[in-house]
Amino acid sequence: MGVSGWFRGVSPYGLAFSLHRITGIILLIYLCMHLTYLTSLTDKTGKTYETLISITVTPTFLPFDILLVLCGLYHGLNGLRLIVHEFGFAYEQRKAILAASVIITIAAWLYVSYVMYKIVVGG
Amino acid sequence: MVEFRIKRFDGSRSYWQSFEVPLKKGMTVLEGLLYIKENLDSTLAFRYSCRMAVCGSCAMKINGRPRLACETQIAALKSDKITIEPLDNFIVIKDLVTEFEGFFKKHERVKPYLIRDDISYESPVELIQTPEELKAYYDFTLCLKCGACYSVCPAAATRDILGPAAITAAYRFCMDSRDRGEDKRVDVILSDDGAWRCHFAAECSEVCPKNINPAKAVQKMRVKAAIKGIKRIFRW
Repeated sequence: MGVSGWFRGVSPYGLAFSLHRITGIILLIYLCMHLTYLTSLTDKTGKTYETLISITVTPTFLPFDILLVLCGLYHGLNGLRLIVHEFGFAYEQRKAILAASVIITIAAWLYVSYVMYKIVVGG
Repeated sequence: MVEFRIKRFDGSRSYWQSFEVPLKKGMTVLEGLLYIKENLDSTLAFRYSCRMAVCGSCAMKINGRPRLACETQIAALKSDKITIEPLDNFIVIKDLVTEFEGFFKKHERVKPYLIRDDISYESPVELIQTPEELKAYYDFTLCLKCGACYSVCPAAATRDILGPAAITAAYRFCMDSRDRGEDKRVDVILSDDGAWRCHFAAECSEVCPKNINPAKAVQKMRVKAAIKGIKRIFRW
């Protein structure tokens, strides 16, 4: 079947699995970019780092940062849900737990997005 | 009339073919397939046996979801177009017939039978079991080995794994109060293609025609195997 088999879910749990994989891949790519970014700190003058900050911590990059936060929150909270089930707990309540994890993810994402907007754009 | 759109495979190429089937009240997908075979195209290949959701032979992908053709009524699908495909994650032999030998080999690996050292055929002893002890594993005895769970398992999409049905069978026997073979089954569960390959997509439980929750059995078996594995490391 191949990798396409990860994305053909027949239930909300299958969709949750697919999103977990997608967000995991995005976070992995981000991690590589972030580590590359951090190598700028080897420039002791700090100029390279400051230049990168002036480019990335801007309203233009804000939508990407907000989407990245969504990926991180979803992957983390869904991961906690999976840990609970994989320890053999609350299997029968899996529908409610999935719904709760999605609601908490969206609520936390909206709050964090608001905070980020205030920091970057101000007002 | 209802349109049956079937994914066919002749050994070398895969293609879609449509058939018009006259709909009767209470007609199942299997009856529709039999109508096609008897009246429209005798070369159509599919597997079936009991026609009453007991043998698990007729599992196939109907409108994108694995189901038993014999218990799926056409009217219940609420569509005048039915798409039928062979099960995913299995090698297709012809049309809707998939290779099940590997699937049954996996089942065989978990030793799906009672293991005891004290059974004597010369002086047989009845193995007593209370209703509570039976209840601990009864649901899992209902597995048909239809392969529906394995076909939707995303972990099985990218590599050959033990899969939900075999692990469920292992759990069923490990939970049986008459059984003494847990250690032998745990070896299989702890193997590279065992329970660790499960990522809890829980799709297996969603499509199981007997609603036996294989995903639950896999998680329970995983915890059992993990405890045994840790104890082995520390030689407890």
